[in-house]
Amino acid sequence: MQVTAILEVRKVSKFFGGLAAINNLNLDIFDSEILGLIGPNGAGKTTLFNIISGFYPLMSGNIIFKKEDITGLRADQIAKKGISRTFQISTLFMRATVFENVFIGFHLHYKEPGWKAFFHTPAVKREEWVIKQKVEELLDEMGLTPLKDELAINLPHGHQRILGVCIALACNPKLLLLDEPLTGMNPTEKFAMIALIRKIRDRGITIVVVEHDVKAVMRACGRIVVLNHGEKIAEGSPGEIMNNKKVIEAYIGREEEG
Amino acid sequence: MKFVTNWRASRTAIIIVVLVITVLLPLIVRNSYWHHLFIMGFINSLLGMTFSVIFCCAGMVNLGTGAFFGIGAYASTMLVMIGGWPFWFALPTSIGITGIIATAFGLISIRNPGVPFVLLTMIFAEIISQIAGQIQFFGGWGGFIMVPRPNPIGGIEFNTKVPYYYLILCLFLLVVVVFKALYASRIGRVWKAVSLSPRLAETLGINVYRYRVLAFVIASSAAGLAGSFYAHYTQTIAPQTFGGFFSILVQLYPILGGIDFYVFGPILGAAIMTFIPEYLRITKEIEPIITGLLLLTIVIFFPRGIIGSLSNFPHVRLARISDRVKEITNWLSGMGPR
Repeated sequence: MQVTAILEVRKVSKFFGGLAAINNLNLDIFDSEILGLIGPNGAGKTTLFNIISGFYPLMSGNIIFKKEDITGLRADQIAKKGISRTFQISTLFMRATVFENVFIGFHLHYKEPGWKAFFHTPAVKREEWVIKQKVEELLDEMGLTPLKDELAINLPHGHQRILGVCIALACNPKLLLLDEPLTGMNPTEKFAMIALIRKIRDRGITIVVVEHDVKAVMRACGRIVVLNHGEKIAEGSPGEIMNNKKVIEAYIGREEEG
Repeated sequence: MKFVTNWRASRTAIIIVVLVITVLLPLIVRNSYWHHLFIMGFINSLLGMTFSVIFCCAGMVNLGTGAFFGIGAYASTMLVMIGGWPFWFALPTSIGITGIIATAFGLISIRNPGVPFVLLTMIFAEIISQIAGQIQFFGGWGGFIMVPRPNPIGGIEFNTKVPYYYLILCLFLLVVVVFKALYASRIGRVWKAVSLSPRLAETLGINVYRYRVLAFVIASSAAGLAGSFYAHYTQTIAPQTFGGFFSILVQLYPILGGIDFYVFGPILGAAIMTFIPEYLRITKEIEPIITGLLLLTIVIFFPRGIIGSLSNFPHVRLARISDRVKEITNWLSGMGPR
């Protein structure tokens, strides 16, 4: 097992007003692992995602991706570096079909310059054809082919989630951030989603999962980091986390003395 | 699938019929006042189209169409009257000048594409009309009169309305073709993504800001084209024409017709707004009131525009209308909206 960090979060802080959402956080994400990020509500999990993917400007600290400082880059520049994410609430192109959703996801794959696209030259058409094949392949792999002409808004919730992952995968990321991928799913769907996450990891993509369902996280992830009030309170294998006193305190509350 | 092909075929048929009618129109109707209304209808639909393109492609509301219309008109007029250029060179040059100014304005204002952008466009339209009025070099408040007609081309003299009609028809179709080609390309797909969910588009590596600026510049250049034509058609331009209220009127055309249908929506809306006030002239003073009431009715009962509402099934539409009536009665009786 490799132990090189693909993403390093160094002393990162983010305040909303006077409130610390993330406070002096250090975090390493290793190559080809599935890292679970858990914590009570308001622990700063989603804030951390928003910081890494470039939606919030950083107040202090650095983020280093593959030995390269990506602090302060725009969201689209960070996507170009190879970090993709999904959103908590299914954020899709709702009024577009499943196929179009994934097709747009392949935006970074175009090599022909944009002005040529206007004239629909043969090279552009060929390139589009190749990318359409790739879209079909990806849809097939994710089991969305039967739904490809449906509008995203008409999909059942579980499929919307999978489509979200599918769009993120279309960018060909090295690091994939999944924000609550299991919310609102029944046990069968959860099981399928976890299998899918494992499958994506096996392609060599590092995955970070933020999730409320602690049981599922224990099942899916090799390593877990627990956040509370924007600080890291525990880190380790699922077994270690389950017996960590601080974690139990954060979730259930302090045991009464005496 | 059969339904889809049928629908495509019937749409092509409709487009061909409409095209043939528009080409033959000045030969069927031989009244130069009517010709004038048709031409104004085309200018208005062209402007309306620029509004809906910015709305559909970039998700922004532009209330400064008048500014770019005015810049196009002034650039073309001054090139011809002061520079002595022929109209056929002044037309593309004025489009370019409009494009450059739109780029400069867009790069600054689209940093905040929401409400700040709307306000900035309104202010910009006012500033442009003030600049044209206050500075003598730009003709002052009197503007320019006796703007020359386009030079004869291929033996066609621009001394009746008919050649103007065909010229604006060609320019309109040119703009439609350009927009269609853009919309069918990768750029169009990105625009769709940006208007549907700018946040998600960003995480896919799309530079949302750049594509918004692009949509704004292309649409505004089309407004400049309309302005250049307008100046040489009416042969007079004045700063007041392009002031605040003009841009407000422009956004009504696509909203009336249907904001999602960026070719037929503005055409229908502009046709309604060009012809109905003319018919209502007999009612004299209360004409604006009737027009206003008509607008209110349409906006309340057909929120997706006329085409948008008609393309829904009738029962859906009726349900929407009864919903809307309930909402309004609730509101009127002081209970607030649902």
